[in-house]
Amino acid sequence: MWKVCKYTLLDLARNRFAIGYALLLLVTSSGLFMLEADDTKALITLSQVVLALTPLLALVFTIIWHFNQLEFTVLLAVQPLRRESILRAQYIAVSTALSGSFVLGVGLPVLAWAPGPVAWTLLLTGIGLTLVFCALGLWIAVWQRDRAKAVGIGLVTWVGLVLLYDTLLLWIMFTFSDRPIEPLIVPLAALNPIDLSRIIIMLRIDLAALLGYTGAVYERFFGSIGGAAVSATALALWMAIPFLLATRSFVRKDL
Amino acid sequence: MRRARRIGTLTLLVFGPAFTVFAGIWRHASPTGLNALIQRANTGDTIVVEGTVTEGTIWIDRTITLLGGRAAVIDGGGEGDAVSITADDVVVRGFSIRGARHSNLDDMAGIKVNDCRGAVIASNTFEQCFFAIYLSGADDATVQSNTVHGSVAEPDRMANGIHLWKCARARIAGNRVHHQRDGIYLEFVTDSRILGNHTWSNERYGLHFMFSHRDSYEGNRFEGNGAGVAVMFSKEIEMIRNEFRSNLGGSAYGLLLKEINDAHIHGNMFDGNTVGMLLDGCNRASIVDNDLRGNGWAVKLFANSTATVFERNTFSGNTFDMTTNGDLVLTTLRGNYWDRYRGYDLDRDGRGDVPYRPLSIFALVAERMPYAMVLARSLMVNLLDQGERIVPTFTPAALLDGSPLMKPPHG
Repeated sequence: MWKVCKYTLLDLARNRFAIGYALLLLVTSSGLFMLEADDTKALITLSQVVLALTPLLALVFTIIWHFNQLEFTVLLAVQPLRRESILRAQYIAVSTALSGSFVLGVGLPVLAWAPGPVAWTLLLTGIGLTLVFCALGLWIAVWQRDRAKAVGIGLVTWVGLVLLYDTLLLWIMFTFSDRPIEPLIVPLAALNPIDLSRIIIMLRIDLAALLGYTGAVYERFFGSIGGAAVSATALALWMAIPFLLATRSFVRKDL
Repeated sequence: MRRARRIGTLTLLVFGPAFTVFAGIWRHASPTGLNALIQRANTGDTIVVEGTVTEGTIWIDRTITLLGGRAAVIDGGGEGDAVSITADDVVVRGFSIRGARHSNLDDMAGIKVNDCRGAVIASNTFEQCFFAIYLSGADDATVQSNTVHGSVAEPDRMANGIHLWKCARARIAGNRVHHQRDGIYLEFVTDSRILGNHTWSNERYGLHFMFSHRDSYEGNRFEGNGAGVAVMFSKEIEMIRNEFRSNLGGSAYGLLLKEINDAHIHGNMFDGNTVGMLLDGCNRASIVDNDLRGNGWAVKLFANSTATVFERNTFSGNTFDMTTNGDLVLTTLRGNYWDRYRGYDLDRDGRGDVPYRPLSIFALVAERMPYAMVLARSLMVNLLDQGERIVPTFTPAALLDGSPLMKPPHG
């Protein structure tokens, strides 16, 4: 498994798209820090870019890469290798490559210009999102036979999680505003990995406002060590479940 | 006349067992007998105290100067006030004072000044006093460079650090107060100056004043107090170059203004408060050159505030710049800097050519449903806010800055 992982990773390191992704992030984040005199403001803008862009690119890249790789994967599958370990190796390779690009592209400028708790939070949640959406992408790619359809499903998933989910949440809030739904809202938001990451970052940036009303809820839910464990577990589940589903359908799939 | 007597007694030296008389200057270095010595002192005498005094309340009923010498401590023993002043022009300087009784019925204090003029309370340290300094009906008083240490373990059992009731022309400067109920509390205090004080971690307000007119507050620092600073029912207040920082919580305000008329609020810094400023019934205030950074709500403006002007303020890194609770806006915003402003300046006069609307629709939503805060800074909320800025339908159209600055006014 580690051999497959190693060669896949070496192959990915030469992948023009992965390098381009790192460069894009590098240009965006250093540009932001150079243009914006206020580092906190730059961090806020950057965190919004990261929250939207990282999932999209991780999803689409993983799907396209899986289809490009398909012939080699078939070749591997005829070798005396377990299919689980092939997929696991590929997941580790692709998520390492994308996380590496992210650390290069966002981590370096952020730690150079604005080191601090916000920067570290941004970095860790960015890596978390990359891992989650690689797993999701892999699942979609393995499950679908058609490349275009898979990419389409990936895009819809992204729009759903980044935009529609929040709209739905706001609609629920308005519709049921005369009922005691307050305790439900934070757990509901935390079900979405992008929202969860955003809240974790927000707790660093907008703490003053969050302490205004929902302070108690937020503090209890995310502020404590237990809360950090809960949010880490939620992200880990978002990684594990799609990956397990991907493994299941990969094992059964007629290549 | 007094001067002549002092010079006359200079030649007379008496050496006693416990104290020395030195030309109207007395030295006291014994745990007891200070009250008796004060009774023997003449108007204008100075008593230098060394060591700890533990004879309960020290009563000062004549004009003397009480100076703390080496390791000077007045311990009230927890029976009543530690020091009680009822004469004009008394000076108490350089003591460490403790042991005022905690009481919910009586206002016991480290130093209490009652119905007299010109008291000077300077460079004292207070520890675990119920009230530290309590001035009642004391005009022309000076409270300077005192340090008040409240109870870190039980701040809820403490009363106010520096408490003034019905005083005129007071000067409160360079004091430090922490872990009391209110840091500095003023009620019916007029024509006074409050300068360069620092209050932090107090249970309720760092500075709290009510019915206090024509006062000025300059260069004070209020940090991490339970509810920030409250200014209520007062006229003609000047607040200049103060710092309001990290006052966090559901009902914590950097500066809470309620029923305030004709205030001047200039050059202050509001940093990291849940609410920077709350204006409730605030009339004819001029709010100029202030810096509001990293607050949850920079300004909460209630619609009952009239003729207030915001000018050359800097709004930067706040979660919400401004919210209001009604459609009627009688407040003027002009030439402020807003970091969210995305307009342009074609004639290059430093002012944007399109107005800025500080009230976002999401702020209105969060006002109605506080739990909607989970969606702050999401893509959906940003899109909503952008749409509302282009076509304002829900937010009051009158709340806008017609000439927003392109750059912060102070670097």
